[in-house]
Amino acid sequence: MALPQNQIPTAFEAFVNATSIDEACKALAIGDGTVVAGGTDLWVQKDEAHKTFGPRLINISNIEELARIEIGRDRIRLGARVTMSDILDNGDLGDIAPALCEAANKFASPQIRNAATIGGNVANASPAADAVVPLLCLDAKIELSKWDGKKISTRDVPADAFFSAPGQSVLAVDELITAISFEHPGTNPIARFFKSGPRPALEIAIVSLGFSARLAGGKLTNVRIALGAVGPTPVRARKTEKLLEGQRLTDDLKAAALDTLADEISPIDDVRGSAWYRQHLARTYLQEALHDAAQS
Amino acid sequence: MNKTIDREDIIGARVAKLDAPEKVTGRTRYINDMVLPRMLRAKIFRTDRVHAKILKIDTSKAEALPGVVAVITGVDAPDGKIGVIKDNPPLKKDKVRCIRDELAAVAAETEEICDAALRLIEVEYEDLPPVFTCEDALKPGAPVIEVDRPDNIAMAQDFSAGDIAEGEKASDHIVEGKYNVHYVTHCNMGVSCCLADISVDGKVTLYSQSQYPYIMKMDLAPALGIHPGDLRIIQPPVGGAFGSKLDVYPYEPICVLLARKTGRPVKLEFSREEEFIASPTRQPVEFRIRAGMTSDGIFTFRDISTLLNNGGYTSWGATTPYVTMRTCSSHYVVPHIRYSARAVYTNNPYAGSFRGYGNVQATWMLETHVDKMAEVAGLDPLEIRLRNANQPHSMTPQGSNLGCIDLVGCIKISAEKSDFLKKWNAYSAQWDNGERYKRGIGIATSLHNAGGAKIHKSDGCGTILTMDDYARVTVMTGASDIGQGSDTVIAQIVAQELGVPLRDITVINNDTALGPWDVGVHASRTTYIAGNSAKRAALDARNQILAAAEKQSNVTADQLDLRGGHVVQADNGEVVIETGRLLRQMHFAGEDAKLVMATDYYEPPTEPEDENHMGDMSAAYSHAAHVAEIIVDTHTGEIEIEKIWSVQDVGKIINLNGLEGQIEGGIAMGIGYGLHEDLKIEKGIVQNPAFRDYHVVTAPEMPPIDMAFIETDDHEGPAGAKGIAELPTIVIAPALGNALYNATGVRIDHPPLNPEKVARAIWERSNKNDAE
Repeated sequence: MALPQNQIPTAFEAFVNATSIDEACKALAIGDGTVVAGGTDLWVQKDEAHKTFGPRLINISNIEELARIEIGRDRIRLGARVTMSDILDNGDLGDIAPALCEAANKFASPQIRNAATIGGNVANASPAADAVVPLLCLDAKIELSKWDGKKISTRDVPADAFFSAPGQSVLAVDELITAISFEHPGTNPIARFFKSGPRPALEIAIVSLGFSARLAGGKLTNVRIALGAVGPTPVRARKTEKLLEGQRLTDDLKAAALDTLADEISPIDDVRGSAWYRQHLARTYLQEALHDAAQS
Repeated sequence: MNKTIDREDIIGARVAKLDAPEKVTGRTRYINDMVLPRMLRAKIFRTDRVHAKILKIDTSKAEALPGVVAVITGVDAPDGKIGVIKDNPPLKKDKVRCIRDELAAVAAETEEICDAALRLIEVEYEDLPPVFTCEDALKPGAPVIEVDRPDNIAMAQDFSAGDIAEGEKASDHIVEGKYNVHYVTHCNMGVSCCLADISVDGKVTLYSQSQYPYIMKMDLAPALGIHPGDLRIIQPPVGGAFGSKLDVYPYEPICVLLARKTGRPVKLEFSREEEFIASPTRQPVEFRIRAGMTSDGIFTFRDISTLLNNGGYTSWGATTPYVTMRTCSSHYVVPHIRYSARAVYTNNPYAGSFRGYGNVQATWMLETHVDKMAEVAGLDPLEIRLRNANQPHSMTPQGSNLGCIDLVGCIKISAEKSDFLKKWNAYSAQWDNGERYKRGIGIATSLHNAGGAKIHKSDGCGTILTMDDYARVTVMTGASDIGQGSDTVIAQIVAQELGVPLRDITVINNDTALGPWDVGVHASRTTYIAGNSAKRAALDARNQILAAAEKQSNVTADQLDLRGGHVVQADNGEVVIETGRLLRQMHFAGEDAKLVMATDYYEPPTEPEDENHMGDMSAAYSHAAHVAEIIVDTHTGEIEIEKIWSVQDVGKIINLNGLEGQIEGGIAMGIGYGLHEDLKIEKGIVQNPAFRDYHVVTAPEMPPIDMAFIETDDHEGPAGAKGIAELPTIVIAPALGNALYNATGVRIDHPPLNPEKVARAIWERSNKNDAE
């Protein structure tokens, strides 16, 4: 018995294979759209019924301008569909944003790195998102674009203000993430990224920690500390940053920083690890970062 | 002078697995790939409760969904149950006993329609009080899981030898311990899948991943209400089984019932999440041990009791004590033994058989405990093992003659190659040196059956061997090759006897309507038993050929040999006739026409255990020793394995490639058990049913493995070989645990040694030291 075509359950009513930002944003403006680039997490979430797709699937993988990495003198701009492998393969980013590259290198597996995009990692808004942690340390801005009826309008949201809850952000239903940008950190920044797990691939962070700073006259400046998987969103450890800012790294200060960090994060117990272990790892990683900073 | 051919030995050579080219090029067709005309897809509706009365199952909305062809519930199923003690109805009608329980099933035109139909099935329950631990389930007044077993005990085993009181008297030290080993699961790359097809007269053909197709007929038929003879099991290539397919599980009868109801072929395939939730686990065990020794470290007694969380139904997990008991009673010489096991019903998922059987659990416990005893006695880990090691041909307390074993050789060679003692002494002196990264080295050994295990009335295997007009050989064996490489070993053994190239041999093992009986692939038995049967059939065929050659030449059969596709003179290799030509002459000989065919059924010289667990149930026994050297990050608790040394008594190497592959694969699985894998079950519910949160070992973490083989040349095994497949999985985990102790002074009795547990234990130890 052949089944009448209209009775076979279908997921999508329309597929938009966008080749420009214009086209993608116009399709989004109609409503009920789901944007897909690498799809590495999106599809898993759909299969596990954690995410319902809209009937309009909008593919942005073929939008050329979203695939660009622009290294400016003052600012670095990564198109939203730049993949983790693109970041690793770029000749300049290793010096400019080593922690971001380290995160990309520890991101999922080589196959997934080839498909997964920086925009997707941000849009996914996972509390454990690997690439977001170094982006927070870089004071990155998320560029959001939409079709306002006449033209494309954009707004920049600081990465720090973008996430609101697990899987949720300030991204509106008609908005597309078009780029992630950050100020050129200058030469020789101190920047580290730590992620838990004994295996070199396919680990979801129990805790991740990013650290960046500059050392001027023996004092730490521009201190940024960000963590993944210790709260409902990736977070900055602002109290600890403030404690360290402008200070010389003494043993007492290091100890105080570790205690401050423990106070300002509130990890939970889950299947990947206990709150105790998350605190323990966060402390371990900050200790290592401060040790390295003192050496540099 | 005629051409001459030298004798070539293919036994012990490096041979590529016969199925490797198809597998690595992606051409192998698994059941998961198969499509039959008019085939439907099927899916199972599973409960979300752990213990509940089923009040009502309403399938009417699902049945009304276009594309759905049939929906069945327990009402549509015969009353026959499955499982080791027949306590598991494939479709549950009255009661839910654990999270995976099957309440209904749908057959539809597509998998998507099946999924949609499952969402339309409505069930009303009345929840019952659940019980999750053995301790709680054994309390008076505990909820009863199986009506016929009001004490919640599914199975019990007790063994004793000697007198524990006497053993205590002879002891200078008694060391006690408690070890809880956890849930893990097989993680077959090919998810569970079957395809059922029914003839007009009601005979059933089931394409199955079964590891025991012949006995499966007997186990499955009652659940279908048919005669076992009306069941034909076809076994296409299997994407991994490792023990998980040694029983009938509900999905197979369900698939057949749907095929019967719809009159169409039906395929049922698990999702990966289902594979984690609804395939069997390794049996978790709570061990309690008291073990005594003299001041010289000579073992005096062992008193071991175990509780097994049986879960809601009884599969092979409850029988693992038969193997656990063997290690507890017979690994090292111990005069006084007491052992008990109780498998206790709970509302958890249930366990099946799993490579290494109860010995992975037993060896974790025993080899950790032996290291602790060594410390109490003031001996190093090698010395205590050597002082108590079993000697060749010794008789165990359970009545097994261990035959040509070499435990001492395994220990000595692994220690020598790894420079064990020097490192062990150096690393244990570094516990409190304040360094973040610490090295450790550890050893473990075990004993396992290596020539089958007579758990049924027969432990045999049959072979039918035919040769065609071109001296191509077809070997129909009862033995299942589920990836372990037995087809290749069988082909090598036959090639050796018949003097034909390996590629001229076709091994067929996949159809109960074609092949002769075999007990199934388990217990490290296939090389030994199927190998012996194949060897005997090949010898028969060889004799037929040589007898015909004798008639044609003036050389007697005992002076002829078969080499390189020819009959040759044994002494000088001179060719007498091409074997194919001789076979054609035999075939086209008018009234004397003869085809070379041979059959054999090999029954190993073993006996089942009696009611007191006495009996020499395996035709051979074997040992292995593993040494692991590790680096521990004492801050994060992460363990990196730097190197593993493996020494195993293999009897005789048949396929060196296959042997190394089995050892590497077994060790990967054992590392998973010891360090990473942990099926987390809370209140009866699996918390991590995905590879995302259930960490199997991946290629980059595999350490280099230095392998050595001891060839003890078993008197009964084919060419002297023993079974080898399970020991590699069994031994490595406690070697890692012992290495962790050597590195850090931290003991973790309950695996896995995951980073959090290790970090916490090290942190607690350093806090304790600070306080002191």
